[in-house]
Amino acid sequence: MAPIIRIEDLHYTYQHEGGAVQALRGIDLTIEQGEYVVLLGHNGSGKSTLAKHLNALLLPTQGDVWINGWNTKERRHLREIRSTVGMVFQQPDNQIVATIVEEDVAFGPENLGVERQEIQRRVEWSLARVDMLPFRHRAPHLLSGGQKQRICIAGVLAMQPSVLVLDEATAMLDPLGRQEVLEVARRLNQEEGVTIVAVTHFMREAIEADRVIVLHEGKIALQGPPRAIFQQLDQLRALSLDVPHVSELAQALHRRFPAFPPDLLTPQEIAAAVIACCHENRASPQRRKEQRNEGRNERKGTEDDFAPSAPRSSSRAPLLSLRRVAHYYMRGTPLEVKAIEDINIEVQRGEIIGVIGHTGSGKSTAIQHFNGLLKAHEGEVWVLGQNLADPNVDLRAVRRAVGLVFQTPEAQLFEQYVGDDIAYGPRKQGLEAEEVRARVRRAMEAVGLPFEEFKDRITFGLSGGQMRRVAIAGVLALEPQVLVLDEPTAGLDPQARRQLMRHILDLHKQGVTLVIISHNMEELAEICDRIYVIAEGRTVMAGTPAEVFSRASELRAIGLDAPDMTQVAEALKAQGLLPPDAVIYTLEQAEAAIAELLLARGAVLAETAAGGQAR
Amino acid sequence: MSEFEYLRNVTVGQYIPTESIVHRLDPRTKLLAALFVALAATSTRSVLATLLLVALLMGVTRLARIEVRYVLRGLLPAAPFIVVLMLMQLLFQGRFSVCETVYWEWGFVRITPCLIELVILGALRLVIFLFLVSLLTLTTTASHIMHGIETLLAPLQRIGLPVHEFALANIIALRFIPTIAEEMERIAKAQASRGGDFGGEPWWRPDRMARARLPLIVPLFVNTLRRAEELIVAMEARCYLGRKGRTKFVDLHFTGLDWVVIALSILLWVVLWRTPWPTFT
Repeated sequence: MAPIIRIEDLHYTYQHEGGAVQALRGIDLTIEQGEYVVLLGHNGSGKSTLAKHLNALLLPTQGDVWINGWNTKERRHLREIRSTVGMVFQQPDNQIVATIVEEDVAFGPENLGVERQEIQRRVEWSLARVDMLPFRHRAPHLLSGGQKQRICIAGVLAMQPSVLVLDEATAMLDPLGRQEVLEVARRLNQEEGVTIVAVTHFMREAIEADRVIVLHEGKIALQGPPRAIFQQLDQLRALSLDVPHVSELAQALHRRFPAFPPDLLTPQEIAAAVIACCHENRASPQRRKEQRNEGRNERKGTEDDFAPSAPRSSSRAPLLSLRRVAHYYMRGTPLEVKAIEDINIEVQRGEIIGVIGHTGSGKSTAIQHFNGLLKAHEGEVWVLGQNLADPNVDLRAVRRAVGLVFQTPEAQLFEQYVGDDIAYGPRKQGLEAEEVRARVRRAMEAVGLPFEEFKDRITFGLSGGQMRRVAIAGVLALEPQVLVLDEPTAGLDPQARRQLMRHILDLHKQGVTLVIISHNMEELAEICDRIYVIAEGRTVMAGTPAEVFSRASELRAIGLDAPDMTQVAEALKAQGLLPPDAVIYTLEQAEAAIAELLLARGAVLAETAAGGQAR
Repeated sequence: MSEFEYLRNVTVGQYIPTESIVHRLDPRTKLLAALFVALAATSTRSVLATLLLVALLMGVTRLARIEVRYVLRGLLPAAPFIVVLMLMQLLFQGRFSVCETVYWEWGFVRITPCLIELVILGALRLVIFLFLVSLLTLTTTASHIMHGIETLLAPLQRIGLPVHEFALANIIALRFIPTIAEEMERIAKAQASRGGDFGGEPWWRPDRMARARLPLIVPLFVNTLRRAEELIVAMEARCYLGRKGRTKFVDLHFTGLDWVVIALSILLWVVLWRTPWPTFT
């Protein structure tokens, strides 16, 4: 059978700010019907540009793209091409055209001139495929992100495409929504034989694929099955991509124990491999003893890591605290909704606090109490020793002391020049021009934007990551004592994310207390002193990362992910291989614990490492 | 309660699904009936007849299983306008009054029974129009209203009026009202967190008021334009190439009841128009 997608020597150049940008520089690619392909690459690698060529939204400046034998340059096949290759984009909100779910799904077939009865049938079929049939008469704006994105997929399915292109369709979703969308994609691929082309920068999503294609600077840099790709860790890092912890762990273990397979992709595979190793090596107690001695020092080291970090001195009054806070939306109308009902959070000076909870759990509502944007309807909010319910509290002073950075803060920028935008807060405060300038300089440098270079740049001409840093600098210019960040890294590519997190941690070193809301469990596990878990408007868990992540099954029950390493540990605990109270949530902890386990079970160390290198 | 929540209270096209007989009527029927009731209200000069119309609308509201009080409360924001309008008429319309009797006269102000009737009539008609619009939106989804208008106006397509484009643009506008309202709320909160405040400028300095609101307006416009661009791409990706060759999914059809309702509303109009109701003039 002829390939469904064939690309030959594809070049694409566009004009940007007076210069020509070569987004794609010679792509050759064929995709067969029924394949599941993932396109990886950092921002600007050309992956989205390539995706937009697949249904003639963009046309090649050089080279050709054939879809099902039709060249995308021929306008007369436009309808066929676009109904063959359906496309779902990043923002579900910006793809839905109708005020009723089923009418939106019908939009595609309507455009194709399909008859009414057939549209009816297709609408029902596609909504059923994405598990959204019960929502057919609902208004889209009342759905969650994952649900909206599934509606968008249904809208594309209703055109009966052979190929479904997901252009970063999971980037703006929470882990639950991401799972929902991936599950649908996988099912469509396996049950309906739909070809999937997914553009993403989440490595975990690439594991599903038959083939992974890594783009770099408009060219294909790596290509192959995920198992092969994720073995090339150094190369992935060089292409500024994230390396999955699971692959890193497998390779680290493989280096020490050559028998351990290096090409594992999921926490389950790691656990299975460890279990298999343990069973193989159950024999030879003599040997086990020897190796145990070698491993002793190491074990000692890890035990220190495992000790739950001592709670910080509780004698000090907390910097911020929410006590049994409840808040209602549209209070006093028939549409009253309880957004949060029992939130308890305490933040001590100098801490890094993580807040997790899925979308709609009330965590964003909760943090808006920290600077008095929302007032508690029940319970108390204390900020810097003041009860915010007290009418004498100067809310503006509170807002300066507690800097709140919203999700996608770049969407609030408004001045033409970067420097002016950052100066907005200090100027409003009525500071002297000199002081304003000094603060803008400090704020910009804190987020890694050199003052002289960036102050006169046009705000809207910056990259997404730079705009986000400008927005954060705008809050920092108020010189807050506490910085509250809602999903600071959402939607950024790995490189921009790492950069931003580094700057945020630098702020902490300079004495700023941090409260971070995030879905990225790995990230929080590594940096937080304490973590609060919010579900259905209540604080359901609180403690050190060790304490919180040791309750992985409870986390999963409320729709949250545990870090991959915790999942590995869980599986091993279930087999009785690790003690139930072992605390594992970072790569280092997992590596140490499994290495010890394997040593104890007599796994063979790499010969070079047998002596000194095991420490 | 909250200084930022006002934006959530956008109730344009608020729909209350009680599944009543009124809800089940074809949207075209409701549009036409509303048109004839409005015509009826303007073709009688009798306060009594107009009051009967108000009573009829309240009856329909009950029939739709919606509280009359709820509808009336929705009219409250319009009350100041109605009052101002009544005052203007009271002050300036007296001179043109045809009544012989004069209750009170001072300068150009002349209060006569006809004037009072006119003022009451004017207010009642406004109430009826507003009542009709809210009844329509309370019992019909915005999308159905637009499909109704599109079908009713379809003949105008032939003389080159872009009826389909108009309807689609309206549906998209309705679809984005809540999204953009949420966005506005988020921006207002974000700017407040950066030390901004909106309000507090004296009303006699509109330039300063406008300047103070730039931090809200600029990002809202930028983001809305970006949304529009993304929406266009998404629509094109779903094969939208204009009206040509399109079919329609939403199926509007008249039942016997629809014809009865349309006939009754025409009858109502003719009766109110042709019957000599008691008036002062």
